[in-house]
Amino acid sequence: MSESAGSFRESISQLPRNIKESVFRPEEGTPEQERAAAIFGNVFLHLHSVRVHINSLRAAYTFGLGLISFFLFLLLTVSGILLMFYYTPSTQLAYRNMKDLEYVVSFGIVLRNVHRWSAHAMVAFVFLHMCRVFYTGSYKAPREFNWVIGVCLLLLTLFLSFTGYLLPWDQLAFWAITVGSNIAAYMPWIGDNVRFLILGGNEVGQMALLRFYVLHVALLPLVAAILLAVHFWRIRKDGGLSRPQDQSD
Amino acid sequence: MPHEKEEIFPRDPNKTYSLMTIVDGDSFQVEHGPDDTLQSWPHLMVRELLLFLLVFVVILGVSLLFNAPLEEAANPLHSTNPAKAPWYFVGIQELVSYSAFLGGIVAPVLIVLSLLLLPYIDRNPKGVGVWFSPDRKIATLLFTLFVIAMVVLILIGQFVRGPNWGLYWPWM
Repeated sequence: MSESAGSFRESISQLPRNIKESVFRPEEGTPEQERAAAIFGNVFLHLHSVRVHINSLRAAYTFGLGLISFFLFLLLTVSGILLMFYYTPSTQLAYRNMKDLEYVVSFGIVLRNVHRWSAHAMVAFVFLHMCRVFYTGSYKAPREFNWVIGVCLLLLTLFLSFTGYLLPWDQLAFWAITVGSNIAAYMPWIGDNVRFLILGGNEVGQMALLRFYVLHVALLPLVAAILLAVHFWRIRKDGGLSRPQDQSD
Repeated sequence: MPHEKEEIFPRDPNKTYSLMTIVDGDSFQVEHGPDDTLQSWPHLMVRELLLFLLVFVVILGVSLLFNAPLEEAANPLHSTNPAKAPWYFVGIQELVSYSAFLGGIVAPVLIVLSLLLLPYIDRNPKGVGVWFSPDRKIATLLFTLFVIAMVVLILIGQFVRGPNWGLYWPWM
């Protein structure tokens, strides 16, 4: 009895340490080994290599444009999930939800602003990131395929932004999507069918709102997240960020 | 040296310098040549965290100062004039105003296809890792023309197109 009580008291006294060790996968060793373990022992960080080339850290080389795009994606994910709590994809309610965000929900307007401005910024920064990769010749072998994934991510960013544009269901949204989907209708032969597929009808209405909503909050973010993982993984597999060839590896 | 160690690197009488001692260390650098890499933790991760905080603060600041646009509720019976696409598609809308098929379908498809195929068309291996490398002047020039064209089209569509897609100065 006393023995089990002692081990119980012991387990209580060691509880914080035991929980910490069970979560963080302790790797004991030299300081360098522990620093390496901080990266490869963490599921979120292990896409990074344990060591990076100093050229990758030069701010004037990348300007952090890809990272900024990714951080904006994270901000959009978080603010988007919060917005979903207050939004109904219905032509009757969507616009009223916008007004509620402005006048009823605490900091609702800030939440919407964060989502809107991050979305605009993400389109711009993804494009700037593409310019950086082009002007530094970083799409050349062996990084060709990662460029292709990057182009797909640019298109996904545009589609994500475009589908989100309709959701406030105001005049700006309605007529922008009408104009945008009319462009698709200029496709020869199949144009009208393509527009019907996009809108779920011949004009922007309840079906279009629902389609854009589902694409915006589920399908496109999921595909984007998967491609982002491949994009980051390929950076590492293709030898890290590009750098001048005459520098040592 | 506190005690005699086995001589790993024999002394070279032709050299004016020699290896005096080997310090016990726990670095990965031991028995490795010099390289230009740093530990990701902390050097990279701290920079990434700071950049994230900067992005967050800037977006939050902008969001506190400027409200996202919200017009009246959508009314399918009353179109806005002009009706504009989102700013990143307004360049294509500008092209559509010249030719619906060429500007709305052919140009975007060509742009996307050439972007996708770019690394397989440009097989010049030179100029990697340097901004505006002199080894790839033509590529730089062509891409810059593309970027300028996109930016100019978007600026025209966004700021100098008014009712009925006519030319209007932004201050009119």
